[in-house]
Amino acid sequence: MKPMKNTFLLLAGVAAIATSAVMVNAQDVPPLAALGEPPIPHDNPQSDAKVELGKILFWDPRLGGDASTACVTCHEPDQGWGFGDSLSRGYPGTVHWRNSQSVINSAYLGQLFWAGSAASLEKQAPSAAKGAVAGNGENDVMETRLAFIPEYRKRFNEVFGTEYPLISDAWNAIAAFERTLIVNDTPVDKYLAGDTSALSDEQVAGMELFNGKAGCIQCHNGAQATDEKYYNLGVPPAERWEDDGLAQVTFRYEIFAKGVTQEMYRKLKDDPGLYFRSKEKDHMGKFRTPPLRYTAYTAPYMHNGSFWDLEEVVQFYNAGGGENDFTDGTMASTKTDKIKPLGLNDEEVGQLVAFLEAFSGDELRVEPPVLPPYEALTSE
Amino acid sequence: MTDNISPANFTQDYNSAWGNARAEINFNEKGKSMKISRFKRSFVLTLGVSLLGATALTGSAFAGDNAIGPIVAPEVNEAKALLGKRLFFDKRLSGDAAISCSSCHQPEHGYSDGLALSKAYPGSKGFRNTPTLINTALAANWFHDGRIGTNLNDVTRENITEDYIMNMDMRMMQERIKQDPVYVKMFADAGYGEPSNGSIRKAIPEYLNTLISQNAPFDSGTMTDAAKRGQALFEGKAGCVSCHSGPLLTDEKAHNIGVAENPEIWSDPMRHMTYAAFASFMGIENYMNIRRDVGAQIIRNPADRSDVGSFNTPTLRELKQTGPYMHNGTFDTLFEVVAFYNAGGGDDANKDKEVKPLGLTFAEQKDIVAFLEALSGDPLTGPEHVWQDPIPTNYLAIENWREQSN
Repeated sequence: MKPMKNTFLLLAGVAAIATSAVMVNAQDVPPLAALGEPPIPHDNPQSDAKVELGKILFWDPRLGGDASTACVTCHEPDQGWGFGDSLSRGYPGTVHWRNSQSVINSAYLGQLFWAGSAASLEKQAPSAAKGAVAGNGENDVMETRLAFIPEYRKRFNEVFGTEYPLISDAWNAIAAFERTLIVNDTPVDKYLAGDTSALSDEQVAGMELFNGKAGCIQCHNGAQATDEKYYNLGVPPAERWEDDGLAQVTFRYEIFAKGVTQEMYRKLKDDPGLYFRSKEKDHMGKFRTPPLRYTAYTAPYMHNGSFWDLEEVVQFYNAGGGENDFTDGTMASTKTDKIKPLGLNDEEVGQLVAFLEAFSGDELRVEPPVLPPYEALTSE
Repeated sequence: MTDNISPANFTQDYNSAWGNARAEINFNEKGKSMKISRFKRSFVLTLGVSLLGATALTGSAFAGDNAIGPIVAPEVNEAKALLGKRLFFDKRLSGDAAISCSSCHQPEHGYSDGLALSKAYPGSKGFRNTPTLINTALAANWFHDGRIGTNLNDVTRENITEDYIMNMDMRMMQERIKQDPVYVKMFADAGYGEPSNGSIRKAIPEYLNTLISQNAPFDSGTMTDAAKRGQALFEGKAGCVSCHSGPLLTDEKAHNIGVAENPEIWSDPMRHMTYAAFASFMGIENYMNIRRDVGAQIIRNPADRSDVGSFNTPTLRELKQTGPYMHNGTFDTLFEVVAFYNAGGGDDANKDKEVKPLGLTFAEQKDIVAFLEALSGDPLTGPEHVWQDPIPTNYLAIENWREQSN
């Protein structure tokens, strides 16, 4: 088995990202594997106190512009630690423009967000807390709020040794908490570890299709079931952009804010994904392969939530993917040649879905924390 | 749809701890010999956290060549002002679409809010008194600390984007405005073409050009005898005119008159927090330990801290509509303000040496109040100043979206 490689990308202006769409034979890719313990970065080691602090912060809406929108607002434990709508809800007065991804097992990923724009959980958290359609917070306000919460002063001091909380340490603590949100004991993990009774016959048949006829393994490979590369499958554009004014506002905001040419700003009607990072036309419409663990709980699916259940997803692949502005030449023609009609019958579709469900394990819930109050800052 | 976190109100629920605020810190050990530096028009460019700025000039104000007098209203482009008026009352110009300019600059309060300290954006709480916008089009600098001395375009930008004021990403603002067909037409009619954040920042100042005092007895020559006596005192024995000069009755400079701190800023953690965040952004040193509003110190930031506690001389027009008074709203009535000056102002090591006891009788103080009231005109609360039609809070979808150019 080839080890998964975490790629740490530094984004500076227009950084080029390597995503060569080389054809890979299924035999050449890392097989599905049991998920071990998550990697812990040397500059942010875990500790119980840090994890507990991060958990409280994950629930705290004061880490956002108007103190209404916490991490948990769009990553709800009872929605698979994502958000139960095609597009995430976004900051008040907005709607987001992509589907909220599960936090479960994000600790193993080298690239966060649908276009991989954050290379670590420590970088993902501030990006979400500050974005205009997410948390819309500013560092100075968020950091200062923490200083007026005595319990945070105490906890940050214990964990990080600072007199007053630093906002960067808040992201470190949240990342540490997220690294505890692990589901690595699914029936598939048990099966791969040698417990052949862990999967039903139907699920085993689904796994064989996954690795063989259906070709899922081409991209959904390794322990996380993702190669962390970028592809255009022809997922249709979000329906809400057609008929929802708020979503149209956000769509234009994103293409404006992310910096495209005037011509591109006028013409784009779909999310160009990786293109925003590289500005390479070949990257239009490409998104990072999502992990498949925990998917039973994370509907709807795809970067814009186009599909509402796993059967719909499998049928999409069975039909050879779809068409969008980046497959039909309107803006680009980047559809991956890995995807083609699969010829699966209904029974086989059911087997694949059963396998994906076995890849999800038990639902992970935690007791929500009590949020500590503001108090006047007395002289020290 | 899940919406289980109620917006905004969470942070109001804190444990108020009155009386815990630290005693005021005296920054200036050297005390009274400090010279009060004045600045005329300060041009402040804010880029990240860098402040650039300020021409200092000392010496007496221009009382002689800038006597109090009538206001000359600026010319107004009707179509642009009409557009600016709708924008001024539109909540979609704030980050979470909860507040508009008019949420704090309320017509019925002379375009202030009637509160000692302003409310601010949800999740924050203000640390200064909301200034009137009547005649602000004629001012030379803005904010109680005078931190913007360029033009109202910059002031509009500052208010819309500042975290604790409206917290708006202007790119988002532009796209919201473009989504409203009423605006698309109004921008075209005003000659701005397609809506843009740049023309939003032009249209709102054009509307502010319409907020000009009307029919103040001082301007219309209908002052009472008491007010006339008050004007004589104002320009004579009381010496008010040395700073409150010109048509707006302000020298547009910062002075320290020793107004006491408003203790609520330091006892209310949300107000204190909002001030501390502002102070950190402005580069005020030791910002977690200070317990006073440093005011205009942020402009020149003199090392001797002699500008700490200085605030811009406010206009004296429309005071009847705009109480409470002072940068932190600590006086409820004009008589209290006049009595404060009569006593020689407050205690502050940086206090302007020109502020000293005036020896005014009770009757003289009442006459000055009568004069101040004569500087107030009609409320600007009619349809020519206040947008009347409902402004939508949602957005119509653009039809045939895929066929339309963005």
